[in-house]
Amino acid sequence: MGTHKLLEVSNLSVEFETYGGVVKAVRGVDFSVDAGEVLAIVGESGCGKSVTVQSIMGIIPMPPGKITGGSAKLKGGEILGLQAQAANQFRGKEIGMIFQDPMTSLNPTMTIGAQIAETLKVHRGLSTQQANEIASELLIRTRIPEAQKRLNQYPFEFSGGMLQRAMIAQSLACSPSLLIADEPTTALDVTIQAQILDLLKELQSRDGMAIILITHDLAVVARTAQNVCVMYAGQIVEQGSVDDIFYKSAHPYTLGLKLAMPSNVSQQNKKLEPIPGSPPDLFSPPSGCGYAARCPHAMRICHKENPPLFSDARAPHHAARCWLQAPGAPKTQGLYQTNLIASHGA
Amino acid sequence: MLKYTFGRILSGLVTIWFIATATFLAMHAVPGDPLMNEKATTPEIRENLARKYGLDKPIAEQYVIYLGNMVQGDFGISFTQQNRKVNDIIQDHFPVSAALGILAITFAALGGILWGALTALYRNQLPDIIIMFLVILGISVPSFVFAALGQLLLVNINQWFNISLLPVAGWGTFAHMIVPSLVLGLGTMALLTRLMRSSMLEIVNEDFIRTARAKGLSPSRIFFQHQLRNAILPVVTVLGPQIAAITTGGFVVELVFAIPGLGRYFVQAVQQLDYTVIMGTTVFYGAFLVFMVILVDIIYGFIDPRVRLK
Repeated sequence: MGTHKLLEVSNLSVEFETYGGVVKAVRGVDFSVDAGEVLAIVGESGCGKSVTVQSIMGIIPMPPGKITGGSAKLKGGEILGLQAQAANQFRGKEIGMIFQDPMTSLNPTMTIGAQIAETLKVHRGLSTQQANEIASELLIRTRIPEAQKRLNQYPFEFSGGMLQRAMIAQSLACSPSLLIADEPTTALDVTIQAQILDLLKELQSRDGMAIILITHDLAVVARTAQNVCVMYAGQIVEQGSVDDIFYKSAHPYTLGLKLAMPSNVSQQNKKLEPIPGSPPDLFSPPSGCGYAARCPHAMRICHKENPPLFSDARAPHHAARCWLQAPGAPKTQGLYQTNLIASHGA
Repeated sequence: MLKYTFGRILSGLVTIWFIATATFLAMHAVPGDPLMNEKATTPEIRENLARKYGLDKPIAEQYVIYLGNMVQGDFGISFTQQNRKVNDIIQDHFPVSAALGILAITFAALGGILWGALTALYRNQLPDIIIMFLVILGISVPSFVFAALGQLLLVNINQWFNISLLPVAGWGTFAHMIVPSLVLGLGTMALLTRLMRSSMLEIVNEDFIRTARAKGLSPSRIFFQHQLRNAILPVVTVLGPQIAAITTGGFVVELVFAIPGLGRYFVQAVQQLDYTVIMGTTVFYGAFLVFMVILVDIIYGFIDPRVRLK
């Protein structure tokens, strides 16, 4: 891969102009993806995770959307804010994308085969026949039975799970080095969910393709990802490996998400603990930490100043945007405090 | 698809029967009869004529006879035009109305789709505002106003430049058809423009358009391949009744431009209570409308696979 990361996003900011005012949907997001890596971006509805990846792809509606700053470099080349013609050099070719609702994400008046073949014809200049052959292979690879027959069928003749497989087949057409999966299993039932995730993992490990997985489901994260970004109110509040996030949660929000997650181990006394309150108004984001109003451990500084990302002194890829991670912060129960451990442990 | 088509045709036939029956009853409910207009009639002559045309029989029997003839495709002889068969009237004059109507609907459909797509593309910008203003005009102003204005404009153009750009009235060549069919299609064009515009704007926000952009397709390909075809569906739906309305509703335009279409006979027959012509033209127009609606349903099946295969 050389010196460049596959995808490097820094300080990405996106706003939407609405009748009610300007919504600051994404407020300075940094993350990177290595070749072959599975990165999960988790967060609740409206935290800006979909907007982040759709801005990188250049598919947010503009206007009202507006990328106000930052950069996104694919293999070292800037891809943020390109015109359609330039953007189409990477869209569908270097980066494939699948969406939340497969039922509405495919053109209802074109056959599945024609829609997959379209990508191949546009990007690789193949003839209809060649494109159809590859489309058929893709359907086989994504485990769609009777591929040849399925090619000539329309989206309404497919089930939801099959449609998502067809979407995946379509996004893989040009063997992209990165696949962005925007809540790929949210609209599907649990058994189909598991199948789709297995399929994604299998394709990823076999072809060495990187995946950015957008989800609000921590179980999906644990099952699929290597690294995780937790997003809240348009910012990344914690990032690290899956183990870091689950076993060394360093941000109270991550902790809150974990407590709110049902477990399949029967624990009679365990109650689900919802996070009180609601996310801040992104029309006028708070000057301090976005989570302070809901945080049980909030201090005075949390309401005044937005914390920077503090990284673990021993594992610098693990970082949290929380004042409790600052040197000299009070010890908090249940929270993995990197600097305290680093300083006390040495 | 075959079963679907068959079902549609069957329900169409029932509709035509209903039209025939309703027209028959309504017509006989109007006071007077076609023989009252005849000059110099003594009671004897009237009786003879009534017997000749079967008007002396009870209504129920007349209805049965009439329906029997109709099924065999015979609409009878006109009461007011000596020895002229209704079938001949339709045969002579419908092709004129049909030619005018087809050209008008072609103008309307092409114009409607084009303008509609254009307004959607330039939403809330100058071209959109101008076209939508004209659309409101086209929908609200009746066709006889446009017919008269069109004629006036044409006469002036011909005089100013001392040329004969297009004939102002009459029938015979393709040039005769252009202005009347434009006038005739204007209202429908305005209607289709509006429909197409809202349909296009709805499709832009669909998920599959976002997918198409994420696939890296060019804007023009997305526009034609993904947006236009899906947006055209509601336009096709209203096209059927509109074709029939234009083809049969061109009476005023035919009158202004002195075109020998069927519309004139249709209206005259009602004034003169010419029973057979009323029945013939009404049932024929009704059947034409039903046929067009079925045809559009079948065409719809080809454009939208969900209709064809379900």
